[in-house]
Amino acid sequence: MTTNVYTYRKPAGLRDYLPRLPAGVWSLSGFSLLWFGGIVLPLLAIIVVSFLQGRGLNINFDPTFLQYERFFSYGGGEMLARSVRIAGTVTIVELLLAFPFALWLAKGCKNNTVKLLTFTALTVPFFLSPAARVIVWRSVFGINGAVNQVLLGTGIVDEPVLWLIFSEFAVHFGFIGAFFPTMVWPIFLSVSLIDNDFLEASGDLGASRLRTLLHIILPLALPGIVAGFVFTFIPMLGDAVVASHMGGNNVLMLAAQVQSLIGVSNFLVAAALAAVVLAIMLAFQVLLWFALKPVGGLAGVFASLRR
Amino acid sequence: MTSDNNIAPGAPSPGRSEVLSVEHATHQFGSLVAVDDVSITAGRGEFLTLLGESGSGKTTLLRLIAGLERPTKIGGISIEGQDVAALPASRRNCTTVFQHYALFPHMSVGQNIEYGLRVRGISQSERRERAIEALNLVRLPDKYDRRVHQLSGGERQRISLARALVTRPAILLLDEPLGALDEKLRVDMQVELLDLHKKLGITFIYVTHSQEEALTMSDRIILMRSGNIVQEGPPTDLFDRPRNRFVADFMGVENLIEGALEAVSGEHASVRVGEHMLSGMWSGGDVPAAGTKVCVAVRAERVRLSNAAATNGQEDGVNRLPCQSGATIYKGKYVDRTLDCDIGPVKARIWDRDADIADLASLWWRTDECAVTKIEGS
Repeated sequence: MTTNVYTYRKPAGLRDYLPRLPAGVWSLSGFSLLWFGGIVLPLLAIIVVSFLQGRGLNINFDPTFLQYERFFSYGGGEMLARSVRIAGTVTIVELLLAFPFALWLAKGCKNNTVKLLTFTALTVPFFLSPAARVIVWRSVFGINGAVNQVLLGTGIVDEPVLWLIFSEFAVHFGFIGAFFPTMVWPIFLSVSLIDNDFLEASGDLGASRLRTLLHIILPLALPGIVAGFVFTFIPMLGDAVVASHMGGNNVLMLAAQVQSLIGVSNFLVAAALAAVVLAIMLAFQVLLWFALKPVGGLAGVFASLRR
Repeated sequence: MTSDNNIAPGAPSPGRSEVLSVEHATHQFGSLVAVDDVSITAGRGEFLTLLGESGSGKTTLLRLIAGLERPTKIGGISIEGQDVAALPASRRNCTTVFQHYALFPHMSVGQNIEYGLRVRGISQSERRERAIEALNLVRLPDKYDRRVHQLSGGERQRISLARALVTRPAILLLDEPLGALDEKLRVDMQVELLDLHKKLGITFIYVTHSQEEALTMSDRIILMRSGNIVQEGPPTDLFDRPRNRFVADFMGVENLIEGALEAVSGEHASVRVGEHMLSGMWSGGDVPAAGTKVCVAVRAERVRLSNAAATNGQEDGVNRLPCQSGATIYKGKYVDRTLDCDIGPVKARIWDRDADIADLASLWWRTDECAVTKIEGS
């Protein structure tokens, strides 16, 4: 069918020469540009710097692995493994602690005052500087700390227990306290969003409480669990405060080491170290991506939110 | 429309073995008494409706039966003769169709339907077979692999029915299942639910606030008000013989005329209203003393118009009042006319245009087509 309709043609403008894309694509590309300039570029700069060499402030633009060699020859590999191991262990412990807690807070706790107080207790620590939060534990776990005083006073031990501070135990402990809220919050939110009707329907159809937990609550809380994992594990790898205040020189970790290297103006090795941290984080994301394959990937995790 | 068997519906249903019995159930939310010492029974294969306005306790009663709510006080509750008072919802042989369907969003339609079978440890192949059977039953045979969010409201309703039926419960509990559907779909689903009920022979306990739904579908209706049962019986009982003024009003009786009871003889009661003597079928139960305030309940469609003047003498089998024409409301299928009488306005519904009268002098209705009932109590 042909129609004789003469359409008005606008004179050609800039838009006519740009690819015809919907507005969303343009705003997305604008956002991407900001993200690239503000976040990716500095990260790329770190990677570039990590391949340079120099002395003091004189930098020589010959690409080299020298900084990485230095890092690994001074026990960097061990430190790297330790950092990932500690962050991984603590993240799993956090998940085991936070999930039942979030479940109780979202579904079990009917008393609004208790709820409010719990929320406050979860957020108040953030008003303190991270160092102040952590340093308190020294007076609890130190050689003359509260725990040792009690142990000595009651005669349970004859000499102060030393592994309570500046040890892996202390670092784990410090991390668990500091990163509990980051695991609880996302899980609490996603569990709160689960309609009580679903839980009732599950029971009504014959499911025990355990089956309801496994078949209904866990899959529907998955977005929160994944978010909690990411927001706990990755910042923990980047945390310099806990390791240096609770571990001292006995437990060296990546982020604390980057900071002390910057402190002594060793920017090049610091950059190499930062690049390693970056690589681990990326590797973790890839790992997560594969781990979520069975439930349909990240899209599958969030598909449950479509109602 | 009742089920097509010969068993007369009514409580306790004769000829039907008892499948549910709730004795003296009380449930409180804080200081609010939602269900106040209520006892009900349901027979096998019965379509029982819990009717009432919101806050009447009908949904709470349903949830007590399902086990989703623990009663504050209970004499006993049994399903198929088994005492279930101490059992959680998961171990009661009844399932619920939720008002907002409660279909699991992370599962496909098939997985949703199979859920009850899966938690009972039934094999994958049998699960699938029975799920497809259930899908056929609700006439959505090709939706097995769909995601829940791809379904329309009516389809979700049916899937949630299929999910509740697939475990073959003794009782199906339906909590305002048609409340979220639009008018036309609601009427279609009413018919479909009735078909299903007939086909399966399962006891349906149906919660609704719509008297029209209750009348269309039920074998028996239990009308509730603030936690108590006001009246129970077959639809015709509630429709034509309301126990009290509240029931009459709830069942949509337009004209509720108050007067003093003169006498009750046999089934007929006569009532003095102003200067007039009206008579109708006594439906208030125990007869109160003469002079007690009672209510004459007459439906607008029973009121007929006439150009004959009202005589002072009583006519046999007819109540007649002199009247003048009042406001007319056009309703499409019919016309509602409000007529001014000396005892107050009376509403008449005129379906047949030819029956409308211009030089109107009186209105009348048959005495056996109106009920005389109590103001309060049951």
